[in-house]
Amino acid sequence: MILTGPEIRRAHATGDIAIEPFEPANVGPNSYDYHLGESLIRIQADAEGRLTSTSHDIPQQGMLLEPGSLYLGATRERIGSKVYAITLLGRSSVGRLGIFLNVTADLGHVGSDSNWTLELSVVQPVYVYAGMCIGQVAFWEVDGPRGFYDGRYKGDVRPERSKDPALNGRAAVKEIYS
Amino acid sequence: MILSGDAIKAAVAGGDIVIEPFNEAQVGPNSYDFRLGNRCKVYKDQVLDPLKQNEVVESVIPPEGLLLAPGRIYLVNTLETMGSTKYVPIIRGRSSTGRLGLFIDVTADLIDLGSINQWTLQLVPVLPLLIYPEILIGQVTFWTTKGAPAAYSGRYKGRESPTESLAYQDIPLGK
Repeated sequence: MILTGPEIRRAHATGDIAIEPFEPANVGPNSYDYHLGESLIRIQADAEGRLTSTSHDIPQQGMLLEPGSLYLGATRERIGSKVYAITLLGRSSVGRLGIFLNVTADLGHVGSDSNWTLELSVVQPVYVYAGMCIGQVAFWEVDGPRGFYDGRYKGDVRPERSKDPALNGRAAVKEIYS
Repeated sequence: MILSGDAIKAAVAGGDIVIEPFNEAQVGPNSYDFRLGNRCKVYKDQVLDPLKQNEVVESVIPPEGLLLAPGRIYLVNTLETMGSTKYVPIIRGRSSTGRLGLFIDVTADLIDLGSINQWTLQLVPVLPLLIYPEILIGQVTFWTTKGAPAAYSGRYKGRESPTESLAYQDIPLGK
């Protein structure tokens, strides 16, 4: 079962859902609206196919995202739950502008609690702004005894690149992550 | 919990789910196959800005098809008016359209309770692809909820679909 907006408010009040900072105005009919944090990591391939990674503070006049690059951002909010599983998505207003918020990795485990890393990619060039309302999280009831996420991204507070050693052993990736 | 095809049929008959027009042949084991409408909007400018009202060019998809080009977003309405105040809809492409490299939404698959209208699909092709009016393009699933219901009062309610992004109506940044 997916939690309704009033149930998200109730679960936040009892501590079953952590969202910090929490604004009642960001509660939707069945989700909570989150905002984009202050920085982005841009990952792109150069003409020789080598990956490069650069960190950017999003300027006040916005940052232009371009097709062909991957941008790692973070939610401004710390989001987590020890009770509910979480799915993360974009807002329809942002999807209509062709901004993907994740790359088929939308599931947050029970026990996760962090400023979530967003995997942004765009269809057409488009500006983003620090603090813009960019996506939504939905909360799902779990059937069965609960396990808790204790993975490598737990407690992240800023955008974090992939830490999977099986992937980072690849030469092209090693170069940017070393 | 996700509704079975039979539960979707019962909910449509009982008025808890709106699917109009409704065709029993489009009910799957745990979803409903919906069709593509024929109204299309593309943005006039290549570079988009959520703080601005991005102008769009409207067209009608002809029976002989519309060629989608990679690198653009095409906003097209669903043929059906759909929604529910009881079950949360989630949309996705059909496997047959996914195999052709067509995204039908841009990480915006969750529909608000009470959002009952023709939905705006965000078509993004990986490869050049021809689309036609009324083809079966996606599936909608329906999910039971926990907690008191909330009424949808969103800005896309009651608008004729497809509707371009209204992000520029957001509260100004920093407030």
